[in-house]
Amino acid sequence: MAGDTAPHAPTRTLEPAPLAGAPAPGAGGGNGDAPAATSGRARATRSADVVQTRASLIALAVLVVVFAAISPQFRTAGNLQQIIDAAAVLAVLATGITFVLMLGAIDLSLPGVIGACAMTVSLLVANSRNTQDLGLLGIALTILLGAAFGLLSGVLSTRLRIPTFMTTLGMSAIGLGIATILFAGVRPVVLDESLGAWASHRIAGFTVMSLIAVAAVALGWAIQRWTRIGRYAAAIGGAEDIVLLSGVPVARYKTLAFGVAGAFYGLGAVMLTARLGSGVVEAGAGTDFAAITAAVIGGTLLSGGRGGVLQSMIGVLALTVLANGLILTGVSPYVQQAVQGVIVVLAVAVATWPVRRRLGVVK
Amino acid sequence: MTETAVETTGPRDDDGPAPGAGRRSRRDLALLFMPGAVLVLLLLALSTRNPDLLSPDSLLAIADSAAPLMVLAIGVTVVILCGGIDLSIAALAALSSVLFALWIPLFGAAAAVPVIAVAALAGAVQGLVHVKAKVNSFIVTLGGLALWSGIALVISGARTVPVTDVDAIRWAFTTVAGLPSAVLIALGAVVVLGAVLRLTPAGRWVRAVGHAEQAARLAGIPVGAVKVAAFTTSGACAGLAGVLLVARTFSGAPSLGATLLLPAVAAVVVGGTAITGGFGGIGRTVIGALIVIVLRVGLSLIGVDAGFESIIYGVLIIGAVAVTIDRTKLDVLK
Repeated sequence: MAGDTAPHAPTRTLEPAPLAGAPAPGAGGGNGDAPAATSGRARATRSADVVQTRASLIALAVLVVVFAAISPQFRTAGNLQQIIDAAAVLAVLATGITFVLMLGAIDLSLPGVIGACAMTVSLLVANSRNTQDLGLLGIALTILLGAAFGLLSGVLSTRLRIPTFMTTLGMSAIGLGIATILFAGVRPVVLDESLGAWASHRIAGFTVMSLIAVAAVALGWAIQRWTRIGRYAAAIGGAEDIVLLSGVPVARYKTLAFGVAGAFYGLGAVMLTARLGSGVVEAGAGTDFAAITAAVIGGTLLSGGRGGVLQSMIGVLALTVLANGLILTGVSPYVQQAVQGVIVVLAVAVATWPVRRRLGVVK
Repeated sequence: MTETAVETTGPRDDDGPAPGAGRRSRRDLALLFMPGAVLVLLLLALSTRNPDLLSPDSLLAIADSAAPLMVLAIGVTVVILCGGIDLSIAALAALSSVLFALWIPLFGAAAAVPVIAVAALAGAVQGLVHVKAKVNSFIVTLGGLALWSGIALVISGARTVPVTDVDAIRWAFTTVAGLPSAVLIALGAVVVLGAVLRLTPAGRWVRAVGHAEQAARLAGIPVGAVKVAAFTTSGACAGLAGVLLVARTFSGAPSLGATLLLPAVAAVVVGGTAITGGFGGIGRTVIGALIVIVLRVGLSLIGVDAGFESIIYGVLIIGAVAVTIDRTKLDVLK
């Protein structure tokens, strides 16, 4: 597996264990593709991954069974469709943030990036505010804008050597400011029919948006598995100093990983705009938290090196099922936010609990 | 400039010892004088635009509107000095404002006491989770942010809770000897916290933990307890800030403090406290909070779009962190 892409041959001779562990996330718990997992430590990392993925799947299954038992509405095929449709945006955002989390970095810039991208796309396609009608080109430009935001976060973090949570917190403020300026007090209603169809038109029972999300997740998985950006992201998160010593331009690949993440946020903003029908500055409020929670539930370690796009999807489904089930059982949507807050801390604590004595200084 | 010169000539005597000599002394020197100089320059620049700005009345009005932000920022300063971060302060202030508004009919003006106690307890819980489970402070407090704002939304029914008994909060918006009481309360919090950090071992402990946690542990400092105390302080300050917010708006709301996180973090880092911990102090944050507020007032004076305010916060945070951060402490940057 690792040999196919071949970029880190020198790395593997230096330190096989963390890198041999890295391909495992891409396997998504799949069996029988572990030619690299020869050393004991590598096998241990692999099995820890499998255990984590299984635990996440079991949590998802328990949620489904519990809600199915409580609520007859939950058990319908229509509700399954709704869950998939509701999960679409979060799936795309979680795919993006997975690249950042694999580095061991964090991204709090989603509300700002999504706000700016949502305003941009609603002003570039046919809308009620101006005479632009770029259609697909407008959508592509928005995704590029998202990637530019991500690249800027990455450049600032790596070149100024600032912790990513500070850079991305600042980027979020900058994005929200740009969105507010673009908003200028008048909400642009999206008149572009093909973008509107993303949320309304259904193919084989699913909205266009859901199908786009599936394609985006597949693309994200391919990037993670078959490109240097994805491979190095996991390696950097596993042992940055070793990757650096083996001659990999770490700063460049970190920046690129942020750029990929930003492109997915841009697509997520387009989907949110299609769903809302107009450009909304606060479209991304809370998405940073939801995306991080989804990735963490899926088994991504915030210290980096472990996790992957497919694992994050387990988290996305678990969160969406939880939200859907809580609404169907009559729980206030505000409680969900509080529950998510507890879940993310719990998930991180559970993941690090067995090794907490070995952790050095935790800031 | 030698290390000792930097230490003894410092205008803010609550700063930590300047570590390392020669190479980094220029950075330390810049950190000592820049925030104050920036504040003075800002005020002068704005006063050329509007001479009335430097009148005592308008300066007091600026200080008055800075009070909640200042209280919020000095609390999180203690956590940052320890090397951690508290992202929950704004949400906790919003929750406190809702609790205060809800409890005034029960306790009257004394409702501030249980509110601050609850907020301090919330901070302590976050500190305990951070220390005991060894979870990164930004994740614990990000979870706290969602939890506290969720609770605030639930208990307020996602509505603004008006305060009808104005007498119960009069103490927080009246004037004493010509000074707004909110300013006096904020100054009181600054003095108390500053005194504790300066006159008790607490200040040295906090800085030691932020500077070199392992060394602090080996030196016998109760690292865990210091961290929990820092988060408790941050929580209590957020509670007081929530109370002051109610006194300004005559209501508590789950959205009240949401916009305060960025300005508060900006105030701390613009003041010159290093996000890596160990360097900085309360006095710096007071200046930082004034800079942020003067900027806000100045922007509306010039008539700039509100969107630029947010952009400036973002640029300020990234720029100030880039200047103040102690890169010798970051072997691997996450």
